[in-house]
Amino acid sequence: MNYHGGHRRKHYRGGDDYDNDRRKEMYETPEQKLRKSIINLGEVDPVQELPRLAKEIYEQASLSIPAVSEGFRIGVTEQPFKVPFYAALLRLLHDPPPDASEEAATGGSTTLGKQVLEDYWKAFQAFLDKLAWREIRLCIHFFAHLTMARLVSPQSMFELLKSFTAVLEEFSASHGRAMKAALCAAEGLMMAGPIFKQENDTDASEIINAIAAYTDSVVGSKVLVQPIARLDAEAPVIEHADELLDSALAALRIFKTDDFSQTADSFPQPYLELPEYTGSLFDLPSVLVPPEVIELDGLTTDSGEDAQIKKEEWPQYYVQLFDNDITPDPTTPVGYAIRSSILDLIDIFEVNRKECARLLLEFPKWTLPGTFKPRPGAPPQEPLAGKDWQLESTVIEVILGSVFLIPESAHKPVYYFALITELCKLSPTTVGPAVGKSIRKLYSLLADGLDVDLSRRLAEWFAVHMSNFGFQWVWKEWLPDVSLSIRHPKRIFMRRAIEFEIRLSYYDRILKTLPEPMQDPNASLMPEEAPGPDYDYDDPTRPYHDAAQSVLNLLRGRAKAEDVIGHLDSLKNTISETAEGDVHVDTVLRSVAMQSLLHIGSRSFSHFLNAIERYLPMLRHLTSSSIPGGVGIAIPEARYDILNAVSAFWKRSRHMVVIVFDKLMQYQIVDPTDVVSWAFIYGGSSDASIGKVSFDAFQWDVLKGALDKANGRVMIARRKVTALRKEEDDNAARAKASDSATMEVDAEGKQANVIPAAESPALTTALKAFTTLTREQKAALSRTLDGFVGYLVAEDKPNPHARKVITENAWHNRANWDEIEWETWETWCWFRHFSRMYSPYLRNYVNTLAEASLSKVGPASDPAVGLFKKTWNIATGQE
Amino acid sequence: MAHVVTPLDQPSNYKDSQARLDRQKQNEMLARSSTLYIGNLSFYTTEEQIYEIFSKCTSPEEGGGIKRIIMGLDRNTRTPCGFCFVEYYTHSEALACLRYISGTKLDERIIRCDLDLGYREGRQFGRGKSGGQVRDEHRQDYDPGRGGWGAQAQRLEIERRREVEERYADAHEGPGAVAGGGGDWKEAGSADNPLKRARSPDDEGDAARSGARARLEDHDQARM
Repeated sequence: MNYHGGHRRKHYRGGDDYDNDRRKEMYETPEQKLRKSIINLGEVDPVQELPRLAKEIYEQASLSIPAVSEGFRIGVTEQPFKVPFYAALLRLLHDPPPDASEEAATGGSTTLGKQVLEDYWKAFQAFLDKLAWREIRLCIHFFAHLTMARLVSPQSMFELLKSFTAVLEEFSASHGRAMKAALCAAEGLMMAGPIFKQENDTDASEIINAIAAYTDSVVGSKVLVQPIARLDAEAPVIEHADELLDSALAALRIFKTDDFSQTADSFPQPYLELPEYTGSLFDLPSVLVPPEVIELDGLTTDSGEDAQIKKEEWPQYYVQLFDNDITPDPTTPVGYAIRSSILDLIDIFEVNRKECARLLLEFPKWTLPGTFKPRPGAPPQEPLAGKDWQLESTVIEVILGSVFLIPESAHKPVYYFALITELCKLSPTTVGPAVGKSIRKLYSLLADGLDVDLSRRLAEWFAVHMSNFGFQWVWKEWLPDVSLSIRHPKRIFMRRAIEFEIRLSYYDRILKTLPEPMQDPNASLMPEEAPGPDYDYDDPTRPYHDAAQSVLNLLRGRAKAEDVIGHLDSLKNTISETAEGDVHVDTVLRSVAMQSLLHIGSRSFSHFLNAIERYLPMLRHLTSSSIPGGVGIAIPEARYDILNAVSAFWKRSRHMVVIVFDKLMQYQIVDPTDVVSWAFIYGGSSDASIGKVSFDAFQWDVLKGALDKANGRVMIARRKVTALRKEEDDNAARAKASDSATMEVDAEGKQANVIPAAESPALTTALKAFTTLTREQKAALSRTLDGFVGYLVAEDKPNPHARKVITENAWHNRANWDEIEWETWETWCWFRHFSRMYSPYLRNYVNTLAEASLSKVGPASDPAVGLFKKTWNIATGQE
Repeated sequence: MAHVVTPLDQPSNYKDSQARLDRQKQNEMLARSSTLYIGNLSFYTTEEQIYEIFSKCTSPEEGGGIKRIIMGLDRNTRTPCGFCFVEYYTHSEALACLRYISGTKLDERIIRCDLDLGYREGRQFGRGKSGGQVRDEHRQDYDPGRGGWGAQAQRLEIERRREVEERYADAHEGPGAVAGGGGDWKEAGSADNPLKRARSPDDEGDAARSGARARLEDHDQARM
């Protein structure tokens, strides 16, 4: 690159700032240097580096013990794959210094190692106080290895684990809390089990039984969150997936059966190579896991419900993509250990996906030799029976397992997508095939009931991934599936994947990637033409063409909104005079106006925003009243007309429908509840399908947009109230402080000032907004539940298919299903997804919602009603 | 979690070179900003494509979403010139893009995202001499997604073409219009000029460039 003159100078100035920042970093204090040496342990070979690092610490430790223990703390909680080696390092620090003075040799002082451990414990206590679960669990790993290294007393370690199983017995512990506590105990036991076996009062089965008792109690919610949906199943059917805590338990039982002989086979134990430490053991102090603190702001809805959202965690089912000889089985000791380590890596390094990818590919370095196949080009090794897994497949399986958690992944799905992209970039020849196989496996699961939302995520990942790798997918292999029913999950997936690819790219580019028979419009995979607008009034032979042109001309000429409104009113008269047959004049007028507005804004998202903003008064006029010139109360029909006009105009680009709806809600032309209603009444596939009782992925996108908008507004309103209250409290405190400073002489005046000031107008407004918005939120949720009742189980509008597709026989006969069965099955799945996705909100309004909607369902003897109510009860925590 | 690796959502050394604020003030604003500068876009990438990829970092249930997209335009031609601003409702959404989107591909180009101080009137236009972005002014490579050669290279090319076109404007017909090329060696004192002009290295370059021009046209057709 050859930059010229002025630009170059500018460029360099930027560079200087950067260098300055760098230089600051380069001057490190000796403490920082020491900390860094500890963090960097194992850059080349952890075992060989240990003695040298121990020596360095001895030489420098006089500086500060906290610096050393901080190094350990960061190392353990941010690089958990190094924990066994940190345990070995701390073991070395329990030896007398290399140049042992008289004092140390005679044992006159505590060893350096013990001092570090004492300081480290304080850090653990701090994590515990904050309930920083991941850090707590990783510290427990550390303590467990230290117990194995004979530095920590087994008794105290066992007690520590038991304080975590105690959480499982708490009355009304949330599943999230119980699960995290159980994992702490389980993983600690896996690592320290062999020692407990040698002791008398430490019986591993105590811990195992406590966890088992807990997992047995959470059967209900498991039915709702399995990646493979089985509507007919009473109890969870485990197919192609495993639950995190159940896996831990299964692995623990194997550990126990084998007397924990598999610990040495599952975790590196470098400290066992060192001479046994014979000094006194460190007793971990006893702890109590503090209760969860929820900061109540006391904000309730107008009918007194608690509107605060408590996100409930669900059992975590990880989808299985490979056989157990390719990737380890997570229900076995070593398999669980590997998956758990990879999960931690993915979670911790979310801040830097590039580093995360690098570390994942270096992961075998931290596992026992023979765990994974050697890299291509590395010296061959004797394959270990029962191990010798494929690293890349293992990593991809765990990442995709995290993407496909239900109801949602821990981080945004796009994080995992980007991580897979980085892995492919680092090692295309090894990661690429693993990705390809995963896609094929997941695709095959579509026919076996892969959950609808997972199918949507799969299509999303597929499109993003292909967008990063030249859209190279061998579509040909799926060609035979083009003959499946048009609503078969595989065909829905292919259509969605192509639609998403087009959104990220453009029509012709994607068309080129498909084999000839798939390009054929009759295959119904590719839209017939590129996405674009369809202005209904373009064709001069169409009705209302002239009227539309006149409106369009005004809009194009940037006429004032009032003038357009005036013109619309006069058009109304003309249309009603000339209209033939049964024409709803207002509907025609709204369609003409809305489509014309969309037309002038059709060139881009920004053009659309500009058009809307310029004609907001016109839009309000259109949606609020049918009386010319008058502004009345909003009428739902008017809003449906507007939404229908949008849907007609963008019928070839459903993405735009969702975007336009979003902004119409943003500008408050329509409310979320209107959009929810629209999704159920008109949202089914475009052509004259009103009255259809099936729900598809597009309707879900519309519905989700509306519900998220309603919920997001409540969230903003809550934040505003909280901020204003805090501001007022601060002001009051300050006023009080200055009062007491200036008015000490005037006792009466001081008294008067203690009376709390009235709410500020801003706070009053904010509280009012909060009330309005929670009402709207409740309405939107209620309308959704109503919609699903109407589709599946309404007494006055029975849907015979709804009860047919949920039987076991029907499911086994799905190869013969036609459109109607698949549609109904999909509708059930979206209802399930709605229930679990919005469960935290539904719980707040459970009584009102049930009263309003569940009263409309058919007789309880109907199996569909049974399934509907069961789903509802599980989601709202009543079962 | 910043001890072991540097988080990708830390502010980079990107900055608005025309912002008249001190560094500290800028940093404070960036720490709250919900606007991103997006660079290295193809000139052909649409706002809808941008919306699609950037909507993957939205948190609507937290009150977030894409507020607006401002397409960077060539000052003179009013056509996209390869950058844009994406404005979210919340800061955390912008940060998520730095972690998950920056450095990945959109429209088959690796795009970059940086926190921006926020859009101000006029910033939608390129600041290069030729109307586009400065980086496209001096670019020496051929980039089909960004109008082919850099603007300066394009200008040179146009000038050269004009030179070529004008060079032979004085060509005429008839005897003597074409030089003979000189005959065999003769004793000094002849009227022929002994100095023959050497072939200019530029000539070769032009040939290579016209090939590239053809590629550019191909590309355009492919997009139509």
